[in-house]
Amino acid sequence: MATTTAAVTLTSDLLSDNMSVSASTTCMKAGTTADGLDQIEYAIVEIATGDQYDLICSTPTASKGSKLYVKNHSIDETYYVEIMIDSQAIGRLYAGDWMFIPADFHDANADVEITALTGTNKIEYALLHEGTALIAS
Amino acid sequence: MATTTATITLSSTDLLSDELALSTTATLTGAGNSTGLIGTEGLARKTVAGGHGAYTLFDGSAYTADKAHKLYLKNTSTNAAEFFLITINAEDLGRLYAGDWALVPWSAHDDDCDIKIDPSHNDMTLEYMLFTD
Repeated sequence: MATTTAAVTLTSDLLSDNMSVSASTTCMKAGTTADGLDQIEYAIVEIATGDQYDLICSTPTASKGSKLYVKNHSIDETYYVEIMIDSQAIGRLYAGDWMFIPADFHDANADVEITALTGTNKIEYALLHEGTALIAS
Repeated sequence: MATTTATITLSSTDLLSDELALSTTATLTGAGNSTGLIGTEGLARKTVAGGHGAYTLFDGSAYTADKAHKLYLKNTSTNAAEFFLITINAEDLGRLYAGDWALVPWSAHDDDCDIKIDPSHNDMTLEYMLFTD
């Protein structure tokens, strides 16, 4: 099995005491400690303003342990992308921001959608997944 | 100005033919500006002691809409079968399995944009922290 580790460190001086939180997980298939996620879709794309696009064009298996990483490589602080799932707004990734979320793809409409605002945004993404329905040619 | 940073490292030596070693750091700032995020709630833990169901972790109506809020989540369970289903505005985001963590951008774009957690088993504990814009 493939072993992929995802680690995060959050630091902040927002509070009177400096905060530092760290976590690390081995990305496993759903409900098991014996088998790691062994498939990945990893890319970088430029998203022009004006339309809402499906970030993941294939159809990953629903309700598994998939993980999605997205980073906005824009430099201009006013640039951002809106992340939506099934047309429901989740959040905004501004220039330099990244996210790492569990991705459920629970039905055919549960696409991860992305819309660029202010200007063309360069987006890096990686989807770790358990399988996907490829589109027949 | 407060400075809050988030660093992720994704690594694997056997997923691809070449080693995967992705690492990046973001300084968490407000929507459309370079001012650091100004508020936080947490670090906190919530244990769902009994019964299953969706619990509102954060109410969308309580936060300024269309901002650059960020939410950290971690499922502290050690039982591989246990997961939290995370939903935003009633849309499934994904399943956070035992030991998994997430960093989620949250725009709180309207009053219905609640963040809810639905545990798969009893007595599960979620660790969380919200950074607000």
